[in-house]
Amino acid sequence: MDAHIKKVYVPMTETGFYILLSLRKEMHGYSIVQQVEEMTGGEVRLSPGTMYGSLSKMEKDGLIAFVREEEKRKIYQITELGIEVLEREMKRIERLYRNMKEAVS
Amino acid sequence: MKETKLEIRFFTITEYEKEQEYLRERHQSGWKFVGYTVPCFYHFVKCEPEDVVYQLDYNKDGAAHKDEYVQMFTDCGWEYLMDVLGYSYFRKPVSEMKEDEEIFCDDSSRLDMIGRVFKGRMIPLIGIFLCCIVPQMFRVFHLQDAADRGIFFVFCALLVLYLILFVQFGVQYWRLKKRTER
Repeated sequence: MDAHIKKVYVPMTETGFYILLSLRKEMHGYSIVQQVEEMTGGEVRLSPGTMYGSLSKMEKDGLIAFVREEEKRKIYQITELGIEVLEREMKRIERLYRNMKEAVS
Repeated sequence: MKETKLEIRFFTITEYEKEQEYLRERHQSGWKFVGYTVPCFYHFVKCEPEDVVYQLDYNKDGAAHKDEYVQMFTDCGWEYLMDVLGYSYFRKPVSEMKEDEEIFCDDSSRLDMIGRVFKGRMIPLIGIFLCCIVPQMFRVFHLQDAADRGIFFVFCALLVLYLILFVQFGVQYWRLKKRTER
């Protein structure tokens, strides 16, 4: 993983994390917004400017790839590099969670 | 025929937050934003007063893929209005929101937008500043007759205007950067 990717994506924004988590299956931006809203009981509502910016940035950095277009909506899927970044972030969050549990128990 | 009005307002490149507030206040007092003429003319049409949030984005990639870009905002309930000098205008009534909503949901993406404004609008300005205004100032500085002195003062005014713009931009970027790092 090169320095640029590490600098930008480790650690990751909540938006970035949910995008990668969702794109393990191919889908378009708005379905990510809906899925995340559902997953978090409406607590996390992703905004279109943030989504559009994050998706194009991640596509440019090779974390996700454009699959096809459906009714003016771009469908994306995670790449090998994206999976690598996601797994690293998952480990970080697990460690965070473990330490939190230990500290408060 | 609908009642219309024209207002003159000037916002600098980085004052898009003030501009958003201005458009929202107009809509609250029953004037809907319908158009903009460069450099500073805002067109309004009389409407029912309503609390509507206005938002500006600056995204060249979005402008290049207009259909998909606008679709994303439309899906999220934002009405696309127009593009002005690289900025895209959107609005959404508060009555359609579950809570406070903006087109950006984190500071990291707000910072990215300011970065895009910097690349798209500020770098060309800095270019003009360094290649035209500064050299011209040095050139006319030594000239003696009154007309040239006049030109010198014009360049002084431009210099001040540019410096204000740069400082304004720097302060805004720095504030947001601080907020993101916290």
